[in-house]
Formats: sequence, structure tokens, C-alpha cells
Amino acid sequence: MAPYIARRLLLTVPLLIVVSFVTFLLIRLSPMDPAEVVLQAQETPQITEELLAQTREELGMNDPFLLQYANWLMSCFRLDFGESYVSGQPVWSLIGPAFANTLSLTLISSVFIIVLSTLLGVVSALREGSLADKSTRGLSFFLTAIPSYGLASVLIWLLAVKLDWLPTSGMDSAASFVLPVAVIAVNYVGIYFRTVRSSVLSNKNEEYVLYARASGLSERAVTMRILRNSLQVAVAIFGMSIPIILGSTVVIENVFAWPGLGRLSVKAILSRDFPIIQAYVLIVAVAFVVINTVSDIVNAAINPKLRSERA
Amino acid sequence: MRRKRTLARTLMTLTLSLTLIAGCSAGENAGSGNNASAGNNAGAGEASARSKTSLTYASAKDINDMNPHLYTGSMPAQGIVYESLVENTKEGIKPLLAESWDISADGKTYTFHLRQGVTFHDGEPFNAEAVKANFEAVLANGEKHAWIKLSTKIASVEAKDEYTVVLTLTDTYYPALVELSMTRPFVFISPKDFKEGGTKDGVNGFHGTGPYKLTKHEPEQHAVFEANESYWGGAPTIKTITSKVLPAGETTFLALQKGEVDFVFTDDRGADSIDIGAMNQLVESGDYQLVRSEPMNTKMIVANTSKEGNPAAETAVREAIWHAIDREAISEAIFAGTEKPADRLFSENVNYADVELSKREYDLERAKTLLDEAGWTLGAGDPVRKKNGAELAMKLYYDSNSSSQKTQAEFIQSTLSELGAKLELIGEESSSIASRRASGDYDLLFNQTWGLAYDPQSTITAFTTASSYLHATSGIEQAEELYQKIDEVMVSTDGEARKALYADIMRIVHDEAVFIPLTNGSVTVVAPAELKGIAFKQTQFELPFERMGY
Repeated sequence: MAPYIARRLLLTVPLLIVVSFVTFLLIRLSPMDPAEVVLQAQETPQITEELLAQTREELGMNDPFLLQYANWLMSCFRLDFGESYVSGQPVWSLIGPAFANTLSLTLISSVFIIVLSTLLGVVSALREGSLADKSTRGLSFFLTAIPSYGLASVLIWLLAVKLDWLPTSGMDSAASFVLPVAVIAVNYVGIYFRTVRSSVLSNKNEEYVLYARASGLSERAVTMRILRNSLQVAVAIFGMSIPIILGSTVVIENVFAWPGLGRLSVKAILSRDFPIIQAYVLIVAVAFVVINTVSDIVNAAINPKLRSERA
Repeated sequence: MRRKRTLARTLMTLTLSLTLIAGCSAGENAGSGNNASAGNNAGAGEASARSKTSLTYASAKDINDMNPHLYTGSMPAQGIVYESLVENTKEGIKPLLAESWDISADGKTYTFHLRQGVTFHDGEPFNAEAVKANFEAVLANGEKHAWIKLSTKIASVEAKDEYTVVLTLTDTYYPALVELSMTRPFVFISPKDFKEGGTKDGVNGFHGTGPYKLTKHEPEQHAVFEANESYWGGAPTIKTITSKVLPAGETTFLALQKGEVDFVFTDDRGADSIDIGAMNQLVESGDYQLVRSEPMNTKMIVANTSKEGNPAAETAVREAIWHAIDREAISEAIFAGTEKPADRLFSENVNYADVELSKREYDLERAKTLLDEAGWTLGAGDPVRKKNGAELAMKLYYDSNSSSQKTQAEFIQSTLSELGAKLELIGEESSSIASRRASGDYDLLFNQTWGLAYDPQSTITAFTTASSYLHATSGIEQAEELYQKIDEVMVSTDGEARKALYADIMRIVHDEAVFIPLTNGSVTVVAPAELKGIAFKQTQFELPFERMGY
């Protein structure tokens, strides 16, 4: 197990370096003069040549490209992503809290997604063909098809405005989590519950099940075995859903005025706040790599077969 | 076994019924807007009964860095925390932190007599030394403030005694008082907040002298302003103002319906956070009122007269476009009558703008004649006019965040195509449009004048600055004459001469059709129905919250 983990971790290093270099390069390839971008982002009413030269000097843009990259990378390790062009505040002081807000939303949603999709998936697989199974599947089609924006608006209108149970938006209390989590969960449960269901179904037809039944094990014991083997899928869901949700909360954050990473990054893109865009891409990429690695490791721990195949 | 089945059934029923509820209410919502607002009366009513002394406004932007000597902060927020020496009102310049002032005969020396007993929010006295320190902090960052011509014309600032400040200019500059009245940069922050003796590298606090103090700021969430009980103008009636960051559109509308926010107004880019339909629905509910200022600015299309290969660099083409725009239709169909058609760059209520100008009516035949006469002719079967082999094709840039600009652009595009002119529409973010305006890389673009307090002097000064309208104006025949007159008007001391110069300037750009007006924009406020004293300032960028109350 240890060599497998070590190898997995080592693999991520070159990946992260490539990601960081591409991020840096893409920003530099932008046709705009960063000094001009900075001044515009600060809404400087009139941009003069002297001001441009002065800003270029301050940003260290007269250095050679690779030196600029090296400087940037080294400071990233210290969580120093530079200063926002727009507000002049350190990037980490903006992106850190936003990242935490988005991550908490993502993790809580993931827990609901896993619990619900496992529950519904298992139940409808065990009752395959029943009315319950059919209606759950039908419903999941329907729910997955609703755009999250529309669903969010309807839920806010019903539960926050009309019934006055919950706040419409913002992040003021635990109650603020209810609606965004519900919307995210509904969107993904419809997809992942099918994954769980088909995994349970395929396990049900495995020979070990037949064997267990033939050995006279109780139906409950057989079911437990099926469930344990289906657990892998749940882990895979966890591994897949977190980065996907993390990278796609923009819509949810916009509807619910959630002070998270999605909104911060869209704002940064619109105002060409390059240091924030760079840090955002880097952080999301790192999160992707880390979470994928972790879920691979967990899966390998559950299933020794995977470990030997991949190693 | 049985238990399992029951559990499964319960789960299914629960999920199903939730969806049904959601589905039904969606239908109801779409079916009748009245139902929705009826349900909300309770919500908003309760909110206002809970506290009659607070306001919560929705804003798409965080208040950001409140340093009053830089440009990233929210202007409405800076406007209630900081104050200037004088105030620009409809009746002219009025005292604010300066009770009175004397201007020397040559117009170069201003002596301000400060209001006594005023303190900053941190208790520091507001006196001549504080004024001097603030001026010096602004001037230490001169390049940033080059747009405000006064900053380049200050020779010295002296504290003559505790409450007397003498400002000496290098030249006579008639808009000096107007520029001193602006929301930034000539406003005052406690010298105790200075960092390394200045403000250009940030400040340690945000203590102004204004009617409200900033007491809490959660970035990207909300900011709270509490009434300054010892405000020299008397404590304001509204005790707490909260600025809540909410994305424009549906979210803000729902929060207004619930009463979580109860105030919205037009932002500094001229965009409203909710559309006209939503505003009307809120007013119909009886909880809200809609108040509109008089026209504050002119929304327009700016033509680049100095770009080679741009057909709109030709006067006749610009005039033809002017004639081809049906402003009545834009006002009625796109703005539901809330913005009135504009037929000149500065409407008559702007200072010095009461000038006789020829009116260009919506007249497609006239537009065709102009194009024909200028040599842009339509070949048989051709959809686009040509002149010397070049097509009559232009690019129009609009702000992709403004739904009304896009609709107007499409509308104008369709009319022009009937005339045989091709308009390509390109939506970009506002900073990119600003960059095009500065570099001259555009044929036509949407823009707006800077508003009553800044018009005409600041907008006209902008005709000569590269980052603003230099590319738009430098291609016309009388460009030199225009710039000379602009230089003259800013230093003239004689009222009549100044009036004549402004008239000439306005006539030149009007005759050349450089700025093609569309509509007059105003500031819109949606506020609780029982709120009184809603008024406006002479700028589109801030509101006098201290005069409001229940």
C-alpha cells in the first residue's frame, strides 16, 4: 500500500508544475498590457504614459519571463499570490475565505448527495421493477433536467419569500445553507443514484451472490455483502463530485449571493484581475489533483485488486 | 422486510411530494405575478415594522477599499462617510465643510473659512492642518488624479490659522470649486488613518466627517454604516444603513419581496439591479415606492472620427446614423418610457447647455440622401452600400452586462441594414470597452456622459484626453479650434465669455455628430413606501441618505 501511495503522490508533482506554468503562461499571452489592466481595474479615470511605466516597474514586469514565473511560483508556496489589481489587498486574504465558504458548501452538499444517492440507489435496486423503483427513476430524470437556476428561484420564492422559513440568500446562519445545499444535492442525486443502483444491480447478479445464497446465508447477510461491494461506487462519487461541484458553484453562488470562489473568480475575470484568476485556477487544479489522489488511495484501500492493477 | 418497504415508500412519497410542491408553485409564479406579491405583503410589512430607523440596500458590488483618495471604493458608500469643502447643488456651489470662501481677483487664490467644531469619526479635530494634510496626500499621488484638472494646478496649500486654509493655483481655473465638490479625491479622512504619512499606499481606518460611520465590513457580504450622532449637520434619522452584496436580477428581487433588503438604486455604470417589470410589481404590492431623479446624463453612441477605414469617421455617415435611430421607439419599447429620448449631447438642464442646436429628426429618407450624396451608393442587388470599393460596415461595441445596450444595438443594427449599412455588434465587459476608448480601437461604442455635477466641464475636458474622447474628437475638421476653445473655457474668468465658448464647443461636436445621443438616463430608487425625504444629489453616483426618514 505504501509504495502505491508514494507513487500516486509523486505523480502529482509534475502535474501541478505543468498546471501552474500553463496558468501563468495563459495570463501572459493575454493581448493586454498588465500595467494598463491594473490601472483600469483600479478605475483610474485617466491613464498616462508615466503612470504606465511606473506601474510596470512596480509589478516587476520588466524582468525576463522565466524569472517572473519563478518568482511567482516561489511566492505561491508561501501562499503569497500577490495583490489584487482591483482592491490592492493580498490575493490570499480574498481567495482564502472564499475558498473556505465554497468548500464548506461543497462538502455539506456532498454528504447529502452520497447519503441520498446511496439510499435511493440501494432501495430502488433491491426493489427493482417495483413502483417505487420506477417512480424514483422517473423522478430523477425530472429533477436532473431542471436547471439549478430555475430550481433555486422556485425554492427561494416558495420557502423563503412565501413561507418565510429560510433566508433568500447570503451566508448569515446555518439556515443559509439549506437552500443552496438542497439545490446542489437535487441536481447531482438524480445522476449518482443511478450509478449506485446499477452497481448494486450488477453485484446482485455476481456469482458470489449465487454462491452465498446456495450456502444458505440469510437474505440479510447476502444483501450486506452486496452493499459492501457497492460501497466503492460511493467513494468514487465522492471523489468525482467534490471537484466538479467546487468548480461549478458559480450559478449557485450567484443565485444565493454566496461569498464563494465561483463569484470571486467570475468577478476577477470580468475585471481582468489576473493575480486572482491565476490563484483561482491553481487552487482549483490543486484541489482536483488532491481529491482525485485521495479517492484513488481510498479505493485502493478498499479493493486490493485495484492496487495491484494500477501499481 | 416490511420495515424496509415502509421506509422505501416513505422516502419516495416525500421526494415526490416535494417535487410536486415545487412544480405547482413554479406554475403559479409564472401564471400570475399578483399572487406572488400578495403573499409577500406580510414579509416586507413585518420587516419595516421591526425597525423604522434602518435601511438595507442591495448592491452588486462590495463597498471595496473605502480609501477616499483612490478609485476602487463604492461611491455611494464613500459619499456618506466623507465630505468635501463645498457641495454642488442645483442652485450652485454651497458650503459644506467650508462655511465660506473668498476668491482673489485673479482667480488664483482661494481662502476657505472652515466650519468649526467638526470632528472626524475617531474624534480627531477637523481643522486647517487636516485639510492641508489631505490635500498633500492626494497630490502625492498626482498621476492617479490627472483626470481632475485641478490636481495639476495646485501650487500650494497653507494653513493660515486653525480654521483658515489658503489654496493657491498656478493658473486661473474656473471649475475649481466644482472639482472640489466631487466625491473624490478632494475629501477628508482623519490624518490618524494615514499610512506612512499618506494615503496612496492604503490607510489604517476609514474615519471621515460625514453623517455615517463605517462600523462593520464583511467583504463580499455586507457593510454596516451607523449614524454619526455628533454630525455637525445634526444626527441623521436613519440610524443604520446596510449595504448587502447581492447579484442583480432575480436574487435581489426575491430579497426585496421578502424584505431582507428594502432599497435599491441605479449603480454607477447606469445599470439597475432589477428590471422595470420587477420594479412595477414591487410598487403594485403597496410595500414599495419608485422614485426617479430628473435626467442625470445622456446615453450615447460615440463615433471614432480618427480611425482610418472607419466609415463613421465621415461626418455624413455619422449624421446618417443619427437620423436612422428611432429614439421614441427605444424609449417606449426598450425602456418602457422610463428614459426619455435625447436629441443632444447635453440636455438643456445642464449648465451652459441652453444652446440653440439644430435637431436631427428620425428620418430614414434624409439618412439615405446623406449617404448617397457622400458617395456611399447601393449597387443593384447589393445589400450593402459601397464607396470606392469599400463596404459601409462598422463595428459597434456594447457592455455585455447591460441588457438594454444589447437590445438597442440590435434595434439600430436592423434599421441600418435597411439603409444598406452593415453594423457588427460586439459585446465586451466594461473595462475592455474603456480600453478600446483609450486606444482608439473601435468604430462606434456605447457610453454615457458623466452626470450633472461633471457635465459639461469634466466631459468636455475628456474630449482632449487620450483615455477618454480624444480619438472620438481628433478626426474632425475643427479639432484644433475645438481644443483651443476647451483650453480657453477652463481658465476664463468672465461668465459671458465662458458661456459663448461653451456654446461654440457644443455646436462643433453637435454639427459634426461625434456623440450620437440616445436617451437621457436618470437615477432610480426603489424604497419602502413609507420612507420620506428621498432626494438626489447632482451626481448619479451617490444619494443623500442623511435626509431620509420614516
